[in-house]
Amino acid sequence: MKQSKDPFEAALEEQEESPPDSPIGPDELDGQTQSAPAPGGLDDDFESLSAPMPVSGGTNINAAVTKNKDDDEEEEEENVDVELAKFPSSADPSKMAKMQAILSQFTEGQMDRYESFRRSALQKANMRRLLVSITGSQKISLPMTIVVCGIAKMFVGELVETARMVMAERKESGPIRPCHIREAYRRLKLEGKVPRRSIQRLFR
Amino acid sequence: MSNSAAGQSSKSKAGSSQPNETTSFKRKRGVFQKDLQHMMYGFGDDPNPLPETVALVEDIVVEYVTDLAHKAQDIGSKRGKLSVEDFLYLIRKDLPKLNRCKELLSMQEELKQARKAFEVDEEKLASVE
Repeated sequence: MKQSKDPFEAALEEQEESPPDSPIGPDELDGQTQSAPAPGGLDDDFESLSAPMPVSGGTNINAAVTKNKDDDEEEEEENVDVELAKFPSSADPSKMAKMQAILSQFTEGQMDRYESFRRSALQKANMRRLLVSITGSQKISLPMTIVVCGIAKMFVGELVETARMVMAERKESGPIRPCHIREAYRRLKLEGKVPRRSIQRLFR
Repeated sequence: MSNSAAGQSSKSKAGSSQPNETTSFKRKRGVFQKDLQHMMYGFGDDPNPLPETVALVEDIVVEYVTDLAHKAQDIGSKRGKLSVEDFLYLIRKDLPKLNRCKELLSMQEELKQARKAFEVDEEKLASVE
């Protein structure tokens, strides 16, 4: 399992970076401060890769968590595990154009958050260790690790977004507190998004 | 590493409001902590999330993965061994996750193919020289 970028991967990503990305930082920004750029412009179908889909639309989240990113900022980052190459979004120049348009209007804070969103990932090695300890079997394949890392990342996204919704309802602000996460977890359980164990649990 | 965690993990439960400090897990705390901080920021939290929040999210995620893996094992045991298909079956109802996983798998395939092609080219170059 590679966790660092090998030069080939970097070259592959570079060559796929055909449309010039909107730069990070305020180079091209007009200093616009709209919070969530054009949420109506977000499609619901998957297309380009290396981007977990946020579940809710990101209601009051100022992080412009959009989908269908085919660009990527610089790649020399340690958390590139699940973030494999950008895909020349095999269908849609229009989607790419939309993406470019959205990204070019990001403020610096939004771009920073978006970068974190794209690049963050759970380490494959740690996940593999966890899976081995759970299943007791050493035969955890690489695709399985990748898939579970991706699922877990999206689950974290659901948790954090739901927690932000909870905070909005309670009209609180600031960093997310454990009580919000717990409430978010409870809601996700009610929605059925958390796998329930069929083992009877006593004395809960 | 923590082989004992396999049996004991089924008893831990983060549904109640406990930070799971005292479960019988033998895993170290903060395994995913650094990554989770960046991830939570990316998804909408503060640039510096509270440590207790990160710890709680880690516990919840570990429990989620544990439950998922146990269920996948149950499914996989009918077929023989555990495979990626079992995980995909478990999240089949959750379309964003399912699509994302398919993307990840196809990306991984592509990279594998590309790497293979790269090696073949290298061999050709080497043989030419």
